Amino acid sequence: MIKRTKIITKHWGQINPLKIEDYLEVGGYKSLEKFFKIGPKKAISEIKKSGLCGRGGAGFLTGDKLKIVAENESQEKYLICNLDESEPGTYKDRSIVDNNPHQLIEGIIITALAVGAQKAFIYINGNYEKQAEILETALKQSRGKNFWGPGVLGKDCDLDIEIFHGAGAYVCGEETALINSMEGNRGEPRRRPPYPTDIGYRGKPTAINNAETLANIPWIITNGGAKYAKIGSKNSPGTKLYILGGAVKNPGVVEAPMGITIKKLIEEYGGGISRGKEFWFAQIGGASGGLAVKKDLNKKLEYGMGAKIALGSGAVLVVDKTANINDLLLSWTSFFRRESCGKCVPCREGTFRLWEIAKRWQDGEISDRDKKAIEDILWTLNNTTFCPLGKFAATAFGDVVGKLQY
Amino acid sequence: MLVKVNGKKYEAQEGEMIYDVCKRNGIKIPTLCSTKKQHEGLCRICLVEINLSDKLVPSCAFPVCEKLEVTTESKKIKKAREINMELLWSDHAGKCVQCRKNRHCQLQALAEEYKIDNFHFVPRREDLTSKEEVDLLKDNRVRVVVDDKNPAIYRTTEFCVECRRCINICPTKQYGFNNRAGDVVVGTPYNQTLDCIFCGACVKHCPTAALTDQNNLEEIENKIDDLNVMTVAILDPAAMESIGFEINGIDSQEKLAGLLKSLGFENVFNLGWGMEKYAGEISRELQNSDKTIIASHCPAFNLYIEKYYPELVGAISQTKNPDELMAEAIKTQYARREKINPESICVISISSCVAKKAKKSQNLDYILTVRELGRLARKKNIAAKDIKSTKTDSGFEFGEKYLDMIKSGGLENLFGKNKKSVVVNSMEDIKKILDSIKKKKEKYDFIEGMICPGGCIHGGGQSIGIK
Repeated sequence: MIKRTKIITKHWGQINPLKIEDYLEVGGYKSLEKFFKIGPKKAISEIKKSGLCGRGGAGFLTGDKLKIVAENESQEKYLICNLDESEPGTYKDRSIVDNNPHQLIEGIIITALAVGAQKAFIYINGNYEKQAEILETALKQSRGKNFWGPGVLGKDCDLDIEIFHGAGAYVCGEETALINSMEGNRGEPRRRPPYPTDIGYRGKPTAINNAETLANIPWIITNGGAKYAKIGSKNSPGTKLYILGGAVKNPGVVEAPMGITIKKLIEEYGGGISRGKEFWFAQIGGASGGLAVKKDLNKKLEYGMGAKIALGSGAVLVVDKTANINDLLLSWTSFFRRESCGKCVPCREGTFRLWEIAKRWQDGEISDRDKKAIEDILWTLNNTTFCPLGKFAATAFGDVVGKLQY
Repeated sequence: MLVKVNGKKYEAQEGEMIYDVCKRNGIKIPTLCSTKKQHEGLCRICLVEINLSDKLVPSCAFPVCEKLEVTTESKKIKKAREINMELLWSDHAGKCVQCRKNRHCQLQALAEEYKIDNFHFVPRREDLTSKEEVDLLKDNRVRVVVDDKNPAIYRTTEFCVECRRCINICPTKQYGFNNRAGDVVVGTPYNQTLDCIFCGACVKHCPTAALTDQNNLEEIENKIDDLNVMTVAILDPAAMESIGFEINGIDSQEKLAGLLKSLGFENVFNLGWGMEKYAGEISRELQNSDKTIIASHCPAFNLYIEKYYPELVGAISQTKNPDELMAEAIKTQYARREKINPESICVISISSCVAKKAKKSQNLDYILTVRELGRLARKKNIAAKDIKSTKTDSGFEFGEKYLDMIKSGGLENLFGKNKKSVVVNSMEDIKKILDSIKKKKEKYDFIEGMICPGGCIHGGGQSIGIK
């Protein structure tokens, strides 16, 4: 048995998520105490040193983001934990809440205090009703222990945490759309710049981080950024939750170091391809992710400029040769046709037309005119859309045409 | 700071958008969603290339910065514009000929400029099985929402390109996006019939025929053609501002009067008389009252007070609008003088105002906006070269200075010297002033308010301006 580094999943299955005592027993909220010893400045420099990248998909350096917000002199700042997980086939954040909500809450408290926010929100996907309940219980418990609220741990700082229920729109996972939705506006992206770190929720500096990112923070504070930086790949250190699905023996959420190759992930963590099936391709990063074919299997999964394959949310869907590609295409395109916010032309019209073409493609053949149309739509989606949703809306479609030569 | 556009250097201010700098210097960048006030950056047609990034950026939403070099025409830009135009255009294909705004549609103009003739996104009939056809029809049919119940604005989402100009320009924020993704339509809350102040700003800024004037042109044509009915046009001088955009070559009031005559109007009078009369009545009202009087001949402004400041309704002047005063005079004095039965007179006001339609009056029969006049003329195939210039008919003489009333502040100039007055014509000012009156913070003798910025010369009924 290989020794696996576990940061997030360490206590999964061993503690009762509804009991704060269980988490305290395994050393929970010790990082918060340490945080008060080292102070916010040191905490942020530790996070920066750790090289932790945003786990939502974009892979922006968390330390840099927090530093910008922390250095802003505004009196009113916010931290938002992005738990609007709506990428198809992705359920890592949900698993965190299901198994160890206190680790996430601890991360939220530390990060909020580090950037100087008096209020933190947990923006939770509206479909996660059970998880919202768990979080509410956990928040009540941690407040009872004075880990947040007025005068955290008897110190001179206040923090309020509130759960905000999203309405289940995919686009609201994009940070500016998320802010719009929280302010009561239509859930659609805003123009960037200005970035939320300068002008965010209610026009105040706001740090928006993915739940998985925040769940890493307590470990970094306890063990130091330098130690974290040694785990996983050089460009993007740490471990990552991968969600294995499709034709693998053991599907589910696994924690593996960054920079692992797709092959290793499927074989060591997923137990290999299901019996009697033949690997065709793997979709990395949910519906908006690209396809990895056989020759990509030795590529590393990581964030950053050097990454060969976009990791996205970390979902790995293994598809075998028995799958019908036309069904998959229709499923992807109908998802994006439904979930595009309708703001900009290429995404609104392009996703609609792609879906139309995918419908015509159901019988396995399309005309040359459609082929030209696909080419044009993919190009315009990639080059001219307003927000990243549109840009990645047709990655998979493009790979089917390009990589699979379909 | 200096910004390089297409190799030449131009002066620009901090925070200005690339689009604005280019527009000021005569560099043309096509756009469908920008208005003077607001840039949304969502039509993705104003895309340009810059030296700081290898991506295309929307020029209307990208602020200038030091060392910026912009290219506004290239192969890549052309490709992006063409594809996005095509995506928009494919919803419109084939509907132009019978469209209300044919030849006065910005989308059509751009489609022509970029030679969008290949509809390869619209499935041709022979490529479809009957099942698919039904499916597609279903998809498209749910998207169209029509509102023809309100008195002034005809709304159909069939031609809408979701550019959001109407949403942004509306002073009372009546519109918003309904639904999501490809089903997105501009609409009112719960798709209710529009019930607003009908200033017409949305119609004026709509690039396509999604928002047009509500009217019954056929009925008006019948009246004009009817030999038993004497049709009289009241010509608002503000209409001169943009009629040239509707019918090329109409550049003087004489030409415009000639156009109306050749359309079949028996008499054409200038609204100046009505304005003079209106000013006289207002000044009498002012002398006899010591309360604040909201003296506005802007029907949209009066509607605004009725809807949003009902406690101030009592302050609205009792004087009728200039159009109505004049129509009344035509049907009484003039009819008596010329020995015509008032019932066979049809008075039509040619105006730059949409809100007048919402305020039906006793004597005024119809209101035609500049756009509708253009449509009528195009329908009858009247070109400017065939028009004989004529003077407006005599019988209603007036002083030239009263024509100033089409501009905001005109009324104040006439007799505001000895009175404490205030002129408002932008939404922020209007709210501020009305709030201060409501709370009795300020006391004015009279308030002159207009909803359209600058007054009737920039009225909601003016042409959108494509030649």
